[in-house]
Amino acid sequence: MFEGGRDVVDQIIARLRRPVRIDPSLDARVMERIATLPTPRRAGAVTAAWRWLTEPRHVALSPLSGLAVATGLVALALLLPALARRPAPTIHELQFVLVAPHATAVSLIGDFNDWDPARTPMRLASAGGAVWTAVVPLSPGRYRYAFLVNGARWLADPTAPAALDNDYGGPSSVVTVAGS
Amino acid sequence: MTPRLGLPALAVGLVATLLARPAAAQDPRLERLDAGTRPLVAALVDSARTAGLPAEPLVQRALEGTIKGAPGDRIVAAVRRLAADLGRARDALGPAASPPELEAGAAALRAGASPAVLVQLRRSRPQRLTVPLAVLTDLVASGVPVDSAAAAVLALAATSRDADLVEFRRAVERDIGLGAPPAAAASVRVNGAASQARPGPP
Amino acid sequence: MGIDNVGTSDAELVRRVLGGDTGAYAALVARYRDRLGRYAVHMLGNREDAEEALQDAFVRGYRSLARCDDPERFGAWLYGILVNRCRTTGARAARRGQVFVRDEAALNGAPLPSSVERTELDDVVRRALARLAPEYREAFLLKHMDDLEYEEMARLTGAGVSALKMRVKRAREQLQAILREVERV
Repeated sequence: MFEGGRDVVDQIIARLRRPVRIDPSLDARVMERIATLPTPRRAGAVTAAWRWLTEPRHVALSPLSGLAVATGLVALALLLPALARRPAPTIHELQFVLVAPHATAVSLIGDFNDWDPARTPMRLASAGGAVWTAVVPLSPGRYRYAFLVNGARWLADPTAPAALDNDYGGPSSVVTVAGS
Repeated sequence: MTPRLGLPALAVGLVATLLARPAAAQDPRLERLDAGTRPLVAALVDSARTAGLPAEPLVQRALEGTIKGAPGDRIVAAVRRLAADLGRARDALGPAASPPELEAGAAALRAGASPAVLVQLRRSRPQRLTVPLAVLTDLVASGVPVDSAAAAVLALAATSRDADLVEFRRAVERDIGLGAPPAAAASVRVNGAASQARPGPP
Repeated sequence: MGIDNVGTSDAELVRRVLGGDTGAYAALVARYRDRLGRYAVHMLGNREDAEEALQDAFVRGYRSLARCDDPERFGAWLYGILVNRCRTTGARAARRGQVFVRDEAALNGAPLPSSVERTELDDVVRRALARLAPEYREAFLLKHMDDLEYEEMARLTGAGVSALKMRVKRAREQLQAILREVERV
Protein backbone atom coordinates (compact mmCIF):
# COMPACT_ATOMS: atom_id res chain seq x y z
CA MET A 1 0.00 0.00 0.00
CA PHE A 2 2.81 2.42 0.88
CA GLU A 3 5.69 3.09 -1.45
CA GLY A 4 8.81 1.22 -0.39
CA GLY A 5 11.90 3.18 0.53
CA ARG A 6 10.01 6.23 1.67
CA ASP A 7 8.99 7.01 5.23
CA VAL A 8 5.32 6.07 5.66
CA VAL A 9 4.69 9.19 7.72
CA ASP A 10 6.05 11.35 4.91
CA GLN A 11 3.67 9.58 2.56
CA ILE A 12 0.81 10.38 4.92
CA ILE A 13 1.89 14.01 5.04
CA ALA A 14 1.93 14.16 1.24
CA ARG A 15 -1.65 12.92 1.16
CA LEU A 16 -2.75 15.34 3.87
CA ARG A 17 -1.34 18.25 1.90
CA ARG A 18 -3.55 17.58 -1.09
CA PRO A 19 -6.27 20.20 -1.48
CA VAL A 20 -9.65 19.49 0.07
CA ARG A 21 -12.70 20.93 -1.60
CA ILE A 22 -15.43 22.08 0.73
CA ASP A 23 -18.95 22.38 -0.66
CA PRO A 24 -19.21 26.03 -1.85
CA SER A 25 -22.79 26.18 -0.57
CA LEU A 26 -21.18 26.63 2.85
CA ASP A 27 -20.61 30.27 1.83
CA ALA A 28 -24.33 30.80 1.49
CA ARG A 29 -25.02 29.11 4.82
CA VAL A 30 -22.49 31.34 6.55
CA MET A 31 -23.92 34.45 4.90
CA GLU A 32 -27.44 33.39 5.87
CA ARG A 33 -26.33 33.08 9.50
CA ILE A 34 -24.48 36.36 9.65
CA ALA A 35 -27.30 38.20 7.91
CA THR A 36 -29.22 37.89 11.16
CA LEU A 37 -26.36 39.41 13.18
CA PRO A 38 -25.57 43.05 13.75
CA THR A 39 -22.66 44.51 11.82
CA PRO A 40 -19.49 44.05 13.88
CA ARG A 41 -18.02 47.38 14.87
CA ARG A 42 -14.94 48.53 16.67
CA ALA A 43 -15.65 49.99 20.09
CA GLY A 44 -16.33 53.70 19.57
CA ALA A 45 -18.01 56.58 21.31
CA VAL A 46 -21.43 54.92 21.17
CA THR A 47 -20.13 51.72 22.74
CA ALA A 48 -18.38 53.70 25.43
CA ALA A 49 -21.59 55.62 26.13
CA TRP A 50 -23.57 52.39 26.30
CA ARG A 51 -21.06 50.93 28.71
CA TRP A 52 -21.35 54.05 30.87
CA LEU A 53 -25.13 53.69 30.87
CA THR A 54 -25.17 49.97 31.64
CA GLU A 55 -22.44 49.80 34.27
CA PRO A 56 -23.91 49.62 37.78
CA ARG A 57 -23.18 52.64 39.97
CA HIS A 58 -24.46 54.25 43.14
CA VAL A 59 -26.61 57.36 42.60
CA ALA A 60 -27.42 59.76 45.43
CA LEU A 61 -30.93 61.32 45.37
CA SER A 62 -32.47 63.98 47.60
CA PRO A 63 -35.98 63.11 48.96
CA LEU A 64 -37.54 65.64 46.56
CA SER A 65 -35.71 64.19 43.55
CA GLY A 66 -36.73 60.70 44.67
CA LEU A 67 -40.38 61.80 44.74
CA ALA A 68 -40.07 63.21 41.21
CA VAL A 69 -38.54 59.96 39.94
CA ALA A 70 -41.27 57.93 41.65
CA THR A 71 -43.96 60.10 40.02
CA GLY A 72 -42.32 59.54 36.65
CA LEU A 73 -42.27 55.78 37.22
CA VAL A 74 -45.96 55.74 38.12
CA ALA A 75 -46.78 57.67 34.93
CA LEU A 76 -44.69 55.22 32.93
CA ALA A 77 -46.45 52.27 34.57
CA LEU A 78 -49.81 53.76 33.55
CA LEU A 79 -48.63 54.29 29.98
CA LEU A 80 -46.94 50.94 29.49
CA PRO A 81 -50.04 48.76 29.07
CA ALA A 82 -51.21 51.01 26.25
CA LEU A 83 -47.79 50.81 24.59
CA ALA A 84 -47.59 47.05 25.07
CA ARG A 85 -50.87 46.43 23.30
CA ARG A 86 -49.32 47.22 19.93
CA PRO A 87 -45.67 46.25 20.05
CA ALA A 88 -43.76 47.32 16.99
CA PRO A 89 -42.61 44.24 15.11
CA THR A 90 -38.87 43.68 15.21
CA ILE A 91 -37.36 44.08 11.77
CA HIS A 92 -34.57 41.68 10.86
CA GLU A 93 -32.22 42.30 7.98
CA LEU A 94 -31.78 39.03 6.13
CA GLN A 95 -29.12 38.51 3.55
CA PHE A 96 -29.93 36.22 0.65
CA VAL A 97 -27.03 34.66 -1.21
CA LEU A 98 -26.91 32.83 -4.52
CA VAL A 99 -23.82 31.37 -6.15
CA ALA A 100 -24.40 31.81 -9.89
CA PRO A 101 -21.12 32.01 -11.82
CA HIS A 102 -22.68 32.51 -15.25
CA ALA A 103 -25.48 34.92 -14.38
CA THR A 104 -25.52 38.45 -15.70
CA ALA A 105 -28.46 39.58 -13.55
CA VAL A 106 -30.27 38.06 -10.59
CA SER A 107 -33.45 39.26 -8.90
CA LEU A 108 -34.77 38.16 -5.55
CA ILE A 109 -38.55 37.86 -5.75
CA GLY A 110 -41.02 36.84 -3.10
CA ASP A 111 -43.80 37.54 -0.67
CA PHE A 112 -41.76 40.45 0.75
CA ASN A 113 -41.55 42.50 -2.44
CA ASP A 114 -44.84 41.85 -4.25
CA TRP A 115 -43.12 39.33 -6.54
CA ASP A 116 -41.73 42.28 -8.46
CA PRO A 117 -38.45 41.52 -10.27
CA ALA A 118 -37.48 45.19 -10.30
CA ARG A 119 -37.67 45.70 -6.53
CA THR A 120 -34.73 43.65 -5.23
CA PRO A 121 -31.94 43.22 -7.76
CA MET A 122 -29.10 41.19 -6.25
CA ARG A 123 -25.54 42.44 -6.54
CA LEU A 124 -22.22 40.67 -6.87
CA ALA A 125 -20.26 40.40 -3.64
CA SER A 126 -17.17 41.27 -5.66
CA ALA A 127 -16.59 42.33 -9.25
CA GLY A 128 -16.22 39.37 -11.57
CA GLY A 129 -17.25 36.97 -8.82
CA ALA A 130 -20.05 34.47 -8.59
CA VAL A 131 -21.72 35.27 -5.27
CA TRP A 132 -24.86 37.39 -5.60
CA THR A 133 -26.30 38.94 -2.47
CA ALA A 134 -29.25 41.04 -1.40
CA VAL A 135 -30.29 42.27 2.02
CA VAL A 136 -34.00 42.52 2.77
CA PRO A 137 -35.56 43.89 5.96
CA LEU A 138 -38.21 41.44 7.14
CA SER A 139 -40.62 41.44 10.04
CA PRO A 140 -41.33 38.08 11.74
CA GLY A 141 -43.24 35.66 9.55
CA ARG A 142 -43.01 33.07 6.84
CA TYR A 143 -42.06 34.15 3.32
CA ARG A 144 -41.93 32.28 0.03
CA TYR A 145 -39.40 33.39 -2.55
CA ALA A 146 -37.27 32.44 -5.53
CA PHE A 147 -34.38 33.79 -7.58
CA LEU A 148 -34.91 34.95 -11.16
CA VAL A 149 -31.68 34.58 -13.13
CA ASN A 150 -31.12 36.61 -16.30
CA GLY A 151 -34.79 37.54 -16.28
CA ALA A 152 -35.85 34.10 -17.42
CA ARG A 153 -34.71 31.23 -15.23
CA TRP A 154 -36.29 30.53 -11.85
CA LEU A 155 -34.12 29.01 -9.16
CA ALA A 156 -34.94 27.87 -5.65
CA ASP A 157 -32.53 28.70 -2.84
CA PRO A 158 -30.38 25.58 -2.45
CA THR A 159 -29.82 26.37 1.21
CA ALA A 160 -33.47 26.86 2.19
CA PRO A 161 -36.47 24.57 2.58
CA ALA A 162 -38.65 24.10 -0.49
CA ALA A 163 -42.12 25.64 -0.52
CA LEU A 164 -44.78 22.94 -0.47
CA ASP A 165 -47.60 25.40 -1.04
CA ASN A 166 -46.43 25.95 -4.58
CA ASP A 167 -49.60 26.59 -6.55
CA TYR A 168 -47.99 27.61 -9.81
CA GLY A 169 -45.10 25.16 -10.11
CA GLY A 170 -41.48 26.16 -10.55
CA PRO A 171 -38.93 26.35 -7.79
CA SER A 172 -39.78 28.24 -4.61
CA SER A 173 -38.16 28.38 -1.20
CA VAL A 174 -39.24 29.43 2.25
CA VAL A 175 -37.64 31.60 4.88
CA THR A 176 -39.13 31.99 8.33
CA VAL A 177 -38.23 34.95 10.52
CA ALA A 178 -38.64 34.18 14.21
CA GLY A 179 -40.38 36.46 16.65
CA SER A 180 -44.12 35.91 16.19
CA MET B 1 -67.63 30.01 -5.66
CA THR B 2 -68.66 30.95 -2.15
CA PRO B 3 -69.78 27.56 -0.83
CA ARG B 4 -66.45 26.00 -1.79
CA LEU B 5 -64.70 28.19 0.75
CA GLY B 6 -66.22 26.02 3.44
CA LEU B 7 -66.05 28.93 5.84
CA PRO B 8 -69.27 30.72 6.75
CA ALA B 9 -67.57 33.95 7.69
CA LEU B 10 -65.76 34.13 4.39
CA ALA B 11 -68.94 33.38 2.50
CA VAL B 12 -70.78 36.17 4.26
CA GLY B 13 -67.92 38.51 3.55
CA LEU B 14 -67.80 37.61 -0.10
CA VAL B 15 -71.51 38.12 -0.61
CA ALA B 16 -71.28 41.42 1.21
CA THR B 17 -68.45 42.49 -1.05
CA LEU B 18 -70.15 41.50 -4.29
CA LEU B 19 -73.60 42.81 -3.51
CA ALA B 20 -73.45 45.52 -0.94
CA ARG B 21 -70.09 47.25 -1.41
CA PRO B 22 -69.98 48.54 -4.95
CA ALA B 23 -67.18 51.01 -4.27
CA ALA B 24 -64.85 48.83 -2.26
CA ALA B 25 -61.32 50.23 -2.35
CA GLN B 26 -59.15 47.87 -4.34
CA ASP B 27 -55.50 47.17 -3.62
CA PRO B 28 -53.64 49.00 -6.44
CA ARG B 29 -51.17 46.13 -6.68
CA LEU B 30 -53.96 43.99 -8.09
CA GLU B 31 -53.83 46.12 -11.25
CA ARG B 32 -51.19 43.65 -12.38
CA LEU B 33 -53.89 40.99 -12.75
CA ASP B 34 -55.85 40.73 -15.98
CA ALA B 35 -59.28 42.33 -16.14
CA GLY B 36 -61.16 39.05 -15.77
CA THR B 37 -59.18 37.82 -12.77
CA ARG B 38 -58.83 41.10 -10.88
CA PRO B 39 -62.40 41.50 -9.54
CA LEU B 40 -62.55 37.87 -8.40
CA VAL B 41 -59.29 38.11 -6.51
CA ALA B 42 -60.24 41.52 -5.11
CA ALA B 43 -63.50 40.03 -3.84
CA LEU B 44 -61.70 37.15 -2.15
CA VAL B 45 -59.22 39.55 -0.56
CA ASP B 46 -62.01 41.80 0.70
CA SER B 47 -64.05 38.94 2.06
CA ALA B 48 -61.04 37.57 3.90
CA ARG B 49 -60.42 41.00 5.38
CA THR B 50 -64.06 41.23 6.44
CA ALA B 51 -63.72 37.85 8.11
CA GLY B 52 -60.73 39.14 10.05
CA LEU B 53 -58.19 37.08 8.13
CA PRO B 54 -54.88 38.52 6.90
CA ALA B 55 -55.28 39.82 3.35
CA GLU B 56 -51.61 40.31 2.52
CA PRO B 57 -50.80 36.62 1.89
CA LEU B 58 -53.69 36.46 -0.57
CA VAL B 59 -52.41 39.49 -2.48
CA GLN B 60 -48.93 37.98 -2.60
CA ARG B 61 -50.27 34.64 -3.84
CA ALA B 62 -52.08 36.41 -6.67
CA LEU B 63 -49.02 38.50 -7.59
CA GLU B 64 -46.88 35.38 -7.64
CA GLY B 65 -49.31 33.90 -10.15
CA THR B 66 -48.98 36.90 -12.45
CA ILE B 67 -45.17 36.91 -12.51
CA LYS B 68 -45.19 33.17 -13.15
CA GLY B 69 -47.64 33.54 -16.00
CA ALA B 70 -50.39 31.41 -14.44
CA PRO B 71 -53.84 31.54 -16.07
CA GLY B 72 -56.51 33.56 -14.24
CA ASP B 73 -58.59 30.61 -13.08
CA ARG B 74 -55.54 29.06 -11.50
CA ILE B 75 -54.72 32.27 -9.67
CA VAL B 76 -58.27 32.55 -8.36
CA ALA B 77 -58.21 28.90 -7.25
CA ALA B 78 -54.89 29.39 -5.46
CA VAL B 79 -56.09 32.50 -3.63
CA ARG B 80 -59.35 30.83 -2.69
CA ARG B 81 -57.56 27.78 -1.35
CA LEU B 82 -55.18 29.89 0.70
CA ALA B 83 -58.09 31.90 2.15
CA ALA B 84 -59.78 28.66 3.20
CA ASP B 85 -56.55 27.35 4.74
CA LEU B 86 -56.08 30.61 6.67
CA GLY B 87 -59.62 30.22 8.00
CA ARG B 88 -59.00 26.64 9.08
CA ALA B 89 -55.74 27.71 10.70
CA ARG B 90 -57.55 30.37 12.70
CA ASP B 91 -60.21 27.88 13.79
CA ALA B 92 -57.43 25.66 15.13
CA LEU B 93 -55.07 28.30 16.54
CA GLY B 94 -57.71 30.57 18.01
CA PRO B 95 -58.93 34.10 17.31
CA ALA B 96 -55.85 35.68 18.92
CA ALA B 97 -53.46 34.06 16.45
CA SER B 98 -51.15 36.56 14.74
CA PRO B 99 -51.11 36.91 10.94
CA PRO B 100 -47.68 35.19 10.67
CA GLU B 101 -48.98 32.34 12.82
CA LEU B 102 -52.04 31.99 10.59
CA GLU B 103 -49.90 31.98 7.47
CA ALA B 104 -47.54 29.37 8.91
CA GLY B 105 -50.56 27.38 10.14
CA ALA B 106 -52.13 27.46 6.68
CA ALA B 107 -48.89 26.13 5.19
CA ALA B 108 -48.74 23.36 7.79
CA LEU B 109 -52.30 22.33 6.99
CA ARG B 110 -51.44 22.37 3.31
CA ALA B 111 -48.47 20.11 4.07
CA GLY B 112 -50.87 17.58 5.54
CA ALA B 113 -50.87 18.39 9.25
CA SER B 114 -54.28 17.93 10.83
CA PRO B 115 -56.05 20.80 12.60
CA ALA B 116 -55.77 18.72 15.78
CA VAL B 117 -51.98 19.04 15.59
CA LEU B 118 -52.31 22.82 15.43
CA VAL B 119 -54.62 22.76 18.43
CA GLN B 120 -52.12 20.66 20.38
CA LEU B 121 -49.26 22.95 19.42
CA ARG B 122 -51.20 25.96 20.64
CA ARG B 123 -51.82 24.21 23.96
CA SER B 124 -48.18 23.31 24.39
CA ARG B 125 -46.95 26.79 23.47
CA PRO B 126 -49.46 29.58 23.91
CA GLN B 127 -47.36 32.22 22.13
CA ARG B 128 -45.11 32.57 19.10
CA LEU B 129 -46.03 29.51 17.10
CA THR B 130 -44.79 30.70 13.71
CA VAL B 131 -41.44 28.94 13.83
CA PRO B 132 -42.73 25.58 15.18
CA LEU B 133 -45.38 25.54 12.47
CA ALA B 134 -42.87 26.49 9.79
CA VAL B 135 -40.41 23.83 10.97
CA LEU B 136 -43.17 21.24 10.79
CA THR B 137 -43.91 22.24 7.19
CA ASP B 138 -40.24 22.38 6.21
CA LEU B 139 -39.62 18.90 7.62
CA VAL B 140 -42.44 17.55 5.45
CA ALA B 141 -40.87 19.32 2.48
CA SER B 142 -37.64 17.45 3.27
CA GLY B 143 -39.43 14.13 3.02
CA VAL B 144 -40.26 13.50 6.68
CA PRO B 145 -43.73 11.91 6.91
CA VAL B 146 -46.19 14.43 8.27
CA ASP B 147 -47.01 12.35 11.36
CA SER B 148 -43.31 12.06 12.27
CA ALA B 149 -42.77 15.75 11.64
CA ALA B 150 -45.75 16.67 13.80
CA ALA B 151 -44.65 14.33 16.58
CA ALA B 152 -41.14 15.81 16.52
CA VAL B 153 -42.31 19.41 16.66
CA LEU B 154 -44.88 18.64 19.35
CA ALA B 155 -42.16 17.00 21.43
CA LEU B 156 -39.88 20.03 21.16
CA ALA B 157 -42.12 23.09 20.88
CA ALA B 158 -42.87 23.59 24.56
CA THR B 159 -39.28 23.56 25.76
CA SER B 160 -37.21 24.63 22.78
CA ARG B 161 -36.36 28.11 21.59
CA ASP B 162 -37.09 29.12 18.00
CA ALA B 163 -33.39 28.99 17.15
CA ASP B 164 -33.15 25.45 18.53
CA LEU B 165 -36.08 24.35 16.40
CA VAL B 166 -34.47 25.80 13.29
CA GLU B 167 -31.20 24.09 14.17
CA PHE B 168 -33.12 20.83 14.70
CA ARG B 169 -34.59 21.15 11.20
CA ARG B 170 -31.16 21.76 9.71
CA ALA B 171 -29.73 18.73 11.52
CA VAL B 172 -32.51 16.51 10.19
CA GLU B 173 -31.93 17.82 6.66
CA ARG B 174 -28.22 17.12 6.99
CA ASP B 175 -28.89 13.56 8.11
CA ILE B 176 -31.30 13.03 5.23
CA GLY B 177 -28.67 14.39 2.87
CA LEU B 178 -26.25 11.81 4.25
CA GLY B 179 -28.65 9.00 3.46
CA ALA B 180 -30.70 8.60 6.64
CA PRO B 181 -34.36 7.66 6.15
CA PRO B 182 -36.31 10.91 6.78
CA ALA B 183 -38.57 9.53 9.53
CA ALA B 184 -35.59 8.00 11.36
CA ALA B 185 -33.60 11.20 10.99
CA ALA B 186 -36.37 13.18 12.66
CA SER B 187 -36.85 10.75 15.53
CA VAL B 188 -33.12 10.33 16.23
CA ARG B 189 -32.57 14.07 16.21
CA VAL B 190 -35.64 14.78 18.30
CA ASN B 191 -34.23 12.57 21.06
CA GLY B 192 -30.93 14.40 20.94
CA ALA B 193 -32.58 17.81 20.86
CA ALA B 194 -34.98 16.97 23.68
CA SER B 195 -32.10 15.94 25.91
CA GLN B 196 -30.40 19.29 25.26
CA ALA B 197 -33.51 21.45 25.51
CA ARG B 198 -33.11 24.37 27.84
CA PRO B 199 -36.06 25.77 29.67
CA GLY B 200 -36.65 29.41 28.91
CA PRO B 201 -38.53 31.75 26.65
CA PRO B 202 -38.82 30.50 23.08
CA MET C 1 -15.00 27.64 -6.97
CA GLY C 2 -13.91 30.85 -5.34
CA ILE C 3 -14.40 34.51 -5.68
CA ASP C 4 -11.89 36.35 -7.79
CA ASN C 5 -10.44 38.87 -5.44
CA VAL C 6 -6.91 39.17 -6.65
CA GLY C 7 -5.72 42.56 -5.52
CA THR C 8 -8.18 42.89 -2.65
CA SER C 9 -6.29 42.31 0.57
CA ASP C 10 -7.73 40.66 3.65
CA ALA C 11 -7.32 43.96 5.47
CA GLU C 12 -9.37 45.80 2.83
CA LEU C 13 -12.15 43.19 2.97
CA VAL C 14 -12.19 43.30 6.78
CA ARG C 15 -12.38 47.09 6.63
CA ARG C 16 -15.35 46.89 4.26
CA VAL C 17 -17.18 44.41 6.49
CA LEU C 18 -16.62 46.62 9.53
CA GLY C 19 -17.95 49.50 7.46
CA GLY C 20 -21.24 47.68 6.94
CA ASP C 21 -20.59 45.86 3.64
CA THR C 22 -21.61 42.41 4.86
CA GLY C 23 -21.23 41.01 1.34
CA ALA C 24 -17.45 41.52 1.55
CA TYR C 25 -17.36 38.77 4.17
CA ALA C 26 -18.48 36.32 1.46
CA ALA C 27 -15.17 36.98 -0.28
CA LEU C 28 -13.24 36.15 2.89
CA VAL C 29 -15.26 32.98 3.39
CA ALA C 30 -14.65 31.88 -0.21
CA ARG C 31 -10.96 32.68 0.15
CA TYR C 32 -10.36 30.60 3.27
CA ARG C 33 -13.07 27.94 2.95
CA ASP C 34 -10.98 25.17 1.41
CA ARG C 35 -7.72 25.87 3.22
CA LEU C 36 -9.26 25.93 6.68
CA GLY C 37 -11.68 23.20 5.67
CA ARG C 38 -8.77 20.85 5.01
CA TYR C 39 -7.68 21.18 8.63
CA ALA C 40 -11.21 20.63 9.94
CA VAL C 41 -11.79 17.57 7.74
CA HIS C 42 -8.57 15.85 8.81
CA MET C 43 -8.85 16.93 12.43
CA LEU C 44 -12.44 15.77 12.88
CA GLY C 45 -12.40 12.84 10.47
CA ASN C 46 -15.78 13.42 8.92
CA ARG C 47 -17.10 15.98 6.54
CA GLU C 48 -20.34 16.79 8.34
CA ASP C 49 -18.66 17.79 11.60
CA ALA C 50 -15.92 19.57 9.68
CA GLU C 51 -18.36 21.73 7.73
CA GLU C 52 -20.32 22.50 10.87
CA ALA C 53 -17.16 23.55 12.70
CA LEU C 54 -16.00 25.59 9.74
CA GLN C 55 -19.33 27.33 9.35
CA ASP C 56 -19.43 28.10 13.03
CA ALA C 57 -15.86 29.42 12.98
CA PHE C 58 -16.73 31.78 10.13
CA VAL C 59 -19.80 33.02 12.01
CA ARG C 60 -17.82 33.50 15.22
CA GLY C 61 -15.15 35.27 13.21
CA TYR C 62 -17.74 37.67 11.86
CA ARG C 63 -19.18 38.34 15.31
CA SER C 64 -15.81 39.22 16.77
CA LEU C 65 -14.26 40.76 13.68
CA ALA C 66 -13.80 44.06 15.47
CA ARG C 67 -11.34 42.28 17.75
CA CYS C 68 -9.14 41.12 14.85
CA ASP C 69 -6.15 43.30 15.69
CA ASP C 70 -4.18 42.56 12.53
CA PRO C 71 -6.70 42.37 9.65
CA GLU C 72 -3.90 41.62 7.17
CA ARG C 73 -3.54 38.30 8.97
CA PHE C 74 -7.27 37.56 9.06
CA GLY C 75 -6.62 33.99 7.87
CA ALA C 76 -4.29 33.19 10.75
CA TRP C 77 -6.67 34.81 13.22
CA LEU C 78 -9.60 32.78 11.92
CA TYR C 79 -7.47 29.64 11.98
CA GLY C 80 -7.17 30.10 15.75
CA ILE C 81 -10.95 30.25 16.07
CA LEU C 82 -11.31 27.10 13.98
CA VAL C 83 -8.71 25.20 16.02
CA ASN C 84 -10.69 25.98 19.16
CA ARG C 85 -13.97 25.11 17.51
CA CYS C 86 -12.59 21.75 16.33
CA ARG C 87 -11.58 20.93 19.88
CA THR C 88 -15.15 21.32 21.13
CA THR C 89 -16.67 19.51 18.15
CA GLY C 90 -14.15 16.69 18.48
CA ALA C 91 -14.90 16.27 22.16
CA ARG C 92 -18.64 16.24 21.53
CA ALA C 93 -18.35 13.79 18.63
CA ALA C 94 -16.27 11.47 20.77
CA ARG C 95 -19.00 11.48 23.41
CA ARG C 96 -21.94 10.87 21.08
CA GLY C 97 -20.42 8.36 18.65
CA GLN C 98 -21.70 8.22 15.12
CA VAL C 99 -25.36 7.93 14.33
CA PHE C 100 -25.28 7.24 10.63
CA VAL C 101 -22.80 5.63 8.32
CA ARG C 102 -21.23 8.37 6.27
CA ASP C 103 -19.81 8.35 2.80
CA GLU C 104 -16.21 8.37 3.95
CA ALA C 105 -14.96 7.75 0.42
CA ALA C 106 -15.87 11.36 -0.27
CA LEU C 107 -13.88 12.52 2.72
CA ASN C 108 -11.24 14.31 0.74
CA GLY C 109 -13.68 16.06 -1.49
CA ALA C 110 -11.24 16.78 -4.29
CA PRO C 111 -11.41 14.27 -7.11
CA LEU C 112 -9.48 11.22 -6.02
CA PRO C 113 -7.48 8.82 -8.15
CA SER C 114 -9.91 6.10 -9.07
CA SER C 115 -7.87 3.07 -8.08
CA VAL C 116 -9.14 1.03 -5.19
CA GLU C 117 -5.75 1.17 -3.52
CA ARG C 118 -5.77 4.97 -3.45
CA THR C 119 -9.12 4.97 -1.70
CA GLU C 120 -7.89 2.33 0.73
CA LEU C 121 -4.83 4.43 1.46
CA ASP C 122 -7.00 7.44 2.24
CA ASP C 123 -9.05 5.29 4.54
CA VAL C 124 -5.96 4.02 6.32
CA VAL C 125 -4.65 7.56 6.76
CA ARG C 126 -7.97 8.67 8.20
CA ARG C 127 -8.16 5.76 10.62
CA ALA C 128 -4.57 6.19 11.70
CA LEU C 129 -5.11 9.89 12.40
CA ALA C 130 -8.27 9.06 14.32
CA ARG C 131 -6.27 6.85 16.67
CA LEU C 132 -3.98 9.68 17.71
CA ALA C 133 -4.86 11.66 20.81
CA PRO C 134 -6.56 14.90 19.70
CA GLU C 135 -3.73 17.13 20.92
CA TYR C 136 -1.18 15.01 19.00
CA ARG C 137 -3.35 15.05 15.88
CA GLU C 138 -3.80 18.81 16.19
CA ALA C 139 -0.06 19.47 16.51
CA PHE C 140 0.81 17.03 13.72
CA LEU C 141 -1.61 18.61 11.26
CA LEU C 142 -0.57 22.17 12.04
CA LYS C 143 3.11 21.30 11.70
CA HIS C 144 3.15 18.95 8.77
CA MET C 145 -0.01 19.61 6.81
CA ASP C 146 0.12 23.38 7.06
CA ASP C 147 3.86 23.71 7.57
CA LEU C 148 3.52 26.21 10.42
CA GLU C 149 6.39 27.40 12.57
CA TYR C 150 6.23 26.28 16.21
CA GLU C 151 5.84 29.87 17.36
CA GLU C 152 2.78 30.29 15.17
CA MET C 153 1.40 26.96 16.41
CA ALA C 154 1.90 28.16 19.97
CA ARG C 155 -0.13 31.28 19.22
CA LEU C 156 -2.93 29.22 17.68
CA THR C 157 -3.13 26.54 20.32
CA GLY C 158 -2.04 28.28 23.49
CA ALA C 159 0.45 25.46 24.15
CA GLY C 160 4.18 25.99 24.69
CA VAL C 161 6.69 25.40 21.92
CA SER C 162 8.45 22.55 23.69
CA ALA C 163 5.16 20.81 24.43
CA LEU C 164 4.19 21.15 20.78
CA LYS C 165 7.50 19.71 19.60
CA MET C 166 6.97 16.78 21.88
CA ARG C 167 3.42 16.24 20.57
CA VAL C 168 4.55 16.27 16.95
CA LYS C 169 7.34 13.80 17.72
CA ARG C 170 4.98 11.48 19.56
CA ALA C 171 2.42 11.75 16.78
CA ARG C 172 5.04 10.66 14.23
CA GLU C 173 6.09 7.72 16.37
CA GLN C 174 2.53 6.61 16.96
CA LEU C 175 1.62 6.92 13.29
CA GLN C 176 4.62 4.82 12.35
CA ALA C 177 3.60 2.15 14.84
CA ILE C 178 -0.03 2.18 13.70
CA LEU C 179 0.92 1.94 10.03
CA ARG C 180 3.36 -0.90 10.65
CA GLU C 181 0.42 -2.80 12.12
CA VAL C 182 -1.65 -2.03 9.04
CA GLU C 183 1.11 -3.24 6.70
CA ARG C 184 1.28 -6.53 8.59
CA VAL C 185 -2.45 -7.25 8.21
